[in-house]
Amino acid sequence: MLHLEDLSLSEGGVPHLAGISLKFKPGLTTLLGRTGAGKTTLLRAIAGLVQPAGRISFNGEDWSHIPPWRRPVAMVTQQFINYPHLNVLDNLAFPLIRRGEEKAAAREAARDMLGRVGLAQMASRRPSELSGGQQQRVAIARALVKGAPILLLDEPFVNLDYNLREGMREELSALLHATRTTVIYASTDPREALRMGDAVVLMSEGRALQSGPPRAVFTAPETLEAAKVVNDPPVNLLGADLSDTGLEIDHLGAAPRDSITGLPPGRYTLALRAEDIRQGGDLMARVALTEVTGSETVTHLDAGGQPLVMLERRIADHALGQNLCITPDLSRALVYGADGRLIAKGGQNG
Amino acid sequence: MWSRSKTADLTEGRAPALRFPAPVSAWPASHPEGRIPQAQTASRFRRIPVYRQKYIFLLPGLLVLIAVILFPLLFTIRVSFSSWDVYNPGLNNAGGAMYARMWDDARYWEALRRLSVLSISTVLIQYVLGFALALLVWREIAARRFFRVLFLVPMMTTPVVMSVIWRTIFHESLGPLNPILDAIGIGAQPWLSQPGFAFAAVMVVEIWQWTPFMFLLLLAGLLSLPSEPFLAAKVDGAGPIRTFLSVTFPMMGAISVGAILIRAIEASKIMETVYVLTSGGPGTSTETVSYYIYIRGMRDFQIGYSAALSLTYLIIMAVALTLIAKALMRLMVRGAQA
Repeated sequence: MLHLEDLSLSEGGVPHLAGISLKFKPGLTTLLGRTGAGKTTLLRAIAGLVQPAGRISFNGEDWSHIPPWRRPVAMVTQQFINYPHLNVLDNLAFPLIRRGEEKAAAREAARDMLGRVGLAQMASRRPSELSGGQQQRVAIARALVKGAPILLLDEPFVNLDYNLREGMREELSALLHATRTTVIYASTDPREALRMGDAVVLMSEGRALQSGPPRAVFTAPETLEAAKVVNDPPVNLLGADLSDTGLEIDHLGAAPRDSITGLPPGRYTLALRAEDIRQGGDLMARVALTEVTGSETVTHLDAGGQPLVMLERRIADHALGQNLCITPDLSRALVYGADGRLIAKGGQNG
Repeated sequence: MWSRSKTADLTEGRAPALRFPAPVSAWPASHPEGRIPQAQTASRFRRIPVYRQKYIFLLPGLLVLIAVILFPLLFTIRVSFSSWDVYNPGLNNAGGAMYARMWDDARYWEALRRLSVLSISTVLIQYVLGFALALLVWREIAARRFFRVLFLVPMMTTPVVMSVIWRTIFHESLGPLNPILDAIGIGAQPWLSQPGFAFAAVMVVEIWQWTPFMFLLLLAGLLSLPSEPFLAAKVDGAGPIRTFLSVTFPMMGAISVGAILIRAIEASKIMETVYVLTSGGPGTSTETVSYYIYIRGMRDFQIGYSAALSLTYLIIMAVALTLIAKALMRLMVRGAQA
């Protein structure tokens, strides 16, 4: 088991890691966070490429004084990193030869791995003669052929086009399925984290906000910050005053009192997913921006000064400035208290 | 039910259509950028076939090239077949007499052998030292910029001036080097009066003078290397020495060959250091080919003979440097990548 204890790292007064303590079991764990959340720094710390304060240990062995080249780690970054002066076969054989394997055996293993990633025909080519997707495949194959017990993947598919990304994600999942490797996969895409990981760690500003099985984390983000990280499109945050007589939503006005039950009167923040705002109803909102993404439409709305985001599972043609009638389904809202912690889920007291 | 509704007071708006300028083909003939005036199209120049027009543009450069390179070369070839000297000034026809004389001139071949040793050894030492210094200031170290400039100082000084300074340093009774060697127990050495020491002195000055040039080229090469393969090498299990041997050195192959060849070409012409420091002595023990040709041509005024020496030297150097370039490419670029 990989154990991180109180890892901290600052550069120029900017904290990149702020007291991160985590345990990683064999399987695929996704680090989910926006750009600058500290995912890459955490992976680099595990690989030994940066030296944070705190302790990293693997199966009880302290890694504090183990240099990167002695750690049993393989890593793939978002850039297509290969050795430009070596051909594809020698690129793959490189980590095996460094580990002390015979050149012939290393090349044989490399050739086998090239076949598994569908690049057997490219063995004698230089990385610069390959397409971006093929270059990244070489980098992934080089990481896999090493057979390290820890595999670090830093947004490996982010620079690939959609179709290639989907295909390579499937391939990687299949390749990793049979192994007992501890895979840590950094991503900015919540859907990717939900689909791929056995576990997910939410990160923001160098901190680990929450960790657990993806479905549990996604359905009940413990803090407002976590709710922002797990939602794409962005979650709608509505300030609300609950009293004995009714529920008053900032900018939107009074909402049905029975939308939230079982909570004492007070000030709350409601987090409402974009898919929980639907077209139809009697709340008017003006269209500020419409984005069509494949088979979905994300519409940014202005409801009397309250920005809202609505997700529709269809291609919609909303004109800029057009007024739409919408309904926020408050019964599905996550309710957060004044301290930003989750106190009720789906309108029910949590 | 929501108790009140808000309706934004905005008219329905769509983004205005973007307008792009019309393509050039759509411009009218009268457009200032659209057509060349008719008078010009009928010029003589336009009547020359396009594939021949390029020669007109190449002509000035070709004429300069002929004037400064081809003519002196052809003239030297002609002179080398004459016995032009201080007694018979002028172009006569001596056949291959000068070349026959050269064949038996042991001093010339000895100068060539000495030059080969001097060039190869100094350039290799310059490469090793230059690479080491470049590696030293490549990564983040304290006062990196200061050291980068400091290492270039010898190259910024005029070679003749530098040689005069070194001649003073090596001076056996007045120079500061021998008292220092005395003080540390090594004892004074005959730097400029014994053949072996004089040859070493020439080597020291050459290395001192031109290591910065090698440093500059190699540092530029190192700075242009992508950082990602080094990161990958660390993760792939390569320590600093293995990273240098398996990543840095092979990736520097092409620039290393370039730097070594440039220095080898320069070193093969070594003249001013020998002239100022030892004048080829003691005896002829530090005489190089350039210096020997200078003596025969400019001091003894044996123009025909020195032309034959020069041409032979030119051919030998061209062949040798081509072979060296091929060997280095195979060894440092293709060999390192295999």
